[in-house]
Amino acid sequence: MFGDPTQILFVGGVLILISIFAGLISSRAGAPLLLVFLVIGMVMGEDGPGGISFANYEAAYLIGSAALAIVLFDGGMRTHMDTLKLAAGPSLSLATVGVVVTTAVVAAATHWLTGTGWIQSVLIGSTVASTDAAAVFFLLNARGMEIHQRVRATLEVESGINDPIAVFLVTTCIAMLQAGTEPTIAGFALDFMAQMVGGGLLGLGAGFAMVWAINRFDFAPGIYPIFAVASALAVFGGSHFIGASGFLAVYVAGLVLGNRRHRGMQLILRFHDGLAWLSQIVMFVMLGLLVTPHDMVTDLGIGFLVAAVLIVLARPLAVVICLTPFRFSWREQAFIAWVGLRGAVPIFLASLPVMYALPGGAIYFHIAFATVLASLLLQGWTIGLAGKWLRLELPADHESAERLDLDVAGDGDRDVAGYRVGAKALALDYRYAELALPRRVRVLAVIRDGVVMDRDTLERLEEEDYVLLVAPPHQMFELDRIFSARRVVDAEADLVFGEFTLSGSAKLGEVGALYGFEVRPKDRDQTVDDYIRQHLRRKVVAGDRLRVGPVELVVRDMSAGKVAHFGVELDPDEPWRVRLRRLPVARLAHRVLGLVRPRALKRRTADD
Amino acid sequence: MEIAQVLTANGVVASLKATSKKQALQDLATRAARLTGLHERQIFETLLERERLGSTGVGHGVAIPHGRIPGLDRLHGLFARLDTPIDFDAIDNLPVDLIFVLLAPETAGADHLKALARVSRLLRDKSMCEKLRGTDNPDALYALLTEAPATNAA
Repeated sequence: MFGDPTQILFVGGVLILISIFAGLISSRAGAPLLLVFLVIGMVMGEDGPGGISFANYEAAYLIGSAALAIVLFDGGMRTHMDTLKLAAGPSLSLATVGVVVTTAVVAAATHWLTGTGWIQSVLIGSTVASTDAAAVFFLLNARGMEIHQRVRATLEVESGINDPIAVFLVTTCIAMLQAGTEPTIAGFALDFMAQMVGGGLLGLGAGFAMVWAINRFDFAPGIYPIFAVASALAVFGGSHFIGASGFLAVYVAGLVLGNRRHRGMQLILRFHDGLAWLSQIVMFVMLGLLVTPHDMVTDLGIGFLVAAVLIVLARPLAVVICLTPFRFSWREQAFIAWVGLRGAVPIFLASLPVMYALPGGAIYFHIAFATVLASLLLQGWTIGLAGKWLRLELPADHESAERLDLDVAGDGDRDVAGYRVGAKALALDYRYAELALPRRVRVLAVIRDGVVMDRDTLERLEEEDYVLLVAPPHQMFELDRIFSARRVVDAEADLVFGEFTLSGSAKLGEVGALYGFEVRPKDRDQTVDDYIRQHLRRKVVAGDRLRVGPVELVVRDMSAGKVAHFGVELDPDEPWRVRLRRLPVARLAHRVLGLVRPRALKRRTADD
Repeated sequence: MEIAQVLTANGVVASLKATSKKQALQDLATRAARLTGLHERQIFETLLERERLGSTGVGHGVAIPHGRIPGLDRLHGLFARLDTPIDFDAIDNLPVDLIFVLLAPETAGADHLKALARVSRLLRDKSMCEKLRGTDNPDALYALLTEAPATNAA
């Protein structure tokens, strides 16, 4: 139906506009954004009122590849070194062993439950094996809640590096099905190593080359982001062409570019933020268009079966196997298992069998589609609740800062940043002269109603003042805290940190005597900070919990690697049980059980 | 654990006058001494000692000073409502105008924690705090505190 190129442009533009506005509305309603884009695609497709018929799998694959490469590149650039350090081990484990376990469990279940052939089952398993974190973080950020840092980092990095393995498994299965041969384990392993090592090295090399080129040559400001996109696409395509993993290469290149100092950083980041949005919209709308719902109906049964096995069995098992060695608590494991959201990658991968015209190719596509749909609906919608129940959502006490970053040319480690002082910001609590700014931070100007104020006679900052300063980049986080609007944390939400807050320098003996837990005489003079860090035996972050006797110690905030404050949770088991019991399902179950329970039991419950 | 098990009607101060945290604690220690028959200095120092580890101002204008005191016969509570909020070094830096003191014998164990948790939940309830701030009648305050349904109790 697209005879005229201008018609394609018109339709494409309108679809993107619709998605933008629908996204605006949905973020208020709390619906998972990517689901909205997917549904828009389906509604505008041939079965919906839109009536657009689009079944060009080659075009979809090309556009999808480009979009994925850009999303991964952007994700890499935004992954801070600290995040990577915090989660490198666990996420690497999830991205390798985890993907294989997930694939194996889904494949085995599919094979035994539906009688599908082994290779076909593995193909199904591997298409749905990798996660998509974009949706998760968008939702959490929209709700103004912070998720436990280690959990967040693990999910983030995992989703950046698990696609290559899934892609590898999928392409291997397809090759086997096409050739009808069984490859040797050795050949399989060799190929895999080549893909991973090649992808990783190419990504590193390309990343450093990009940093070098950007600092070496004088581009026009507008060219920096274009240079980055072009390089990313070249790295992605080039790696793929020589048999290495383009997905891994482009992510690693993004990591390097995002963590090294170079010119045009802010320009590139801002441009890529927009581009990543566009990629997500285009990818999901397109995949929605690609599917033909009435064809899919017959495969829905097996699709939802795969989704159920994946969500209930495969993902949790993979998480337990991969994260238990890293001493993740059950809450953390449960959250990571539940938030193993599936996004565009499975649908995108499942378009490969159709492209290669495998027998029954459309079935793979339909299964992947149903799985993603189920995952976005079920898990996407309940992330917030899961975070709350598992007590991994930590209330944020300030809004995200309104900061304007400017690049200072050259390699100096200073940036210029401008802040609009937020409502009730920390900076407003002090007289201007007494404002304690982090080291090596200088105020350049304070602008009020368009007038530059004389700082020598300035008494206090006011809300809406504009403060311009120079600061080392690593101090920006601290500055955000000083100038951003403070939020009143709900008293109930604050309970995540326990009932009372104490200083990390408190002696263990004193705390034990107060809250009724035994402390060995030799540990009495140890600070709680020491004790917590010694017993958790890993890098401690806010929200970490340590059970001692009848109470739980909860890390509230860290400062210079030490526990600055911790909370005491007096009745650690109760909130969890209570929360469970408040669930409508639990209430219903309680009522049903109440009806069928023998009288003797009923009487006993009436007594307590 | 019910509030009535730790708080008696004469443990309610409807409008405490204090200008500082220290003064409020001192005044409450004196009243607690009268209720328990212990020495006020001992109570004051126990409460002060606890504040040194971190303020018991839990936020939103509420403070729950507490501690264990040898020789106490059972859990004792004391509730005070302040006409003028005072600085309490609370975690949210907001001034405090509702104070619930809870004193426990050294041997109290689980009961102490249960009572503390119960008081903490009660005073984290926004509508409860609004009601407590809205009246300066001691009987009404006592009724509010003790008649709240223990919805969260296990």
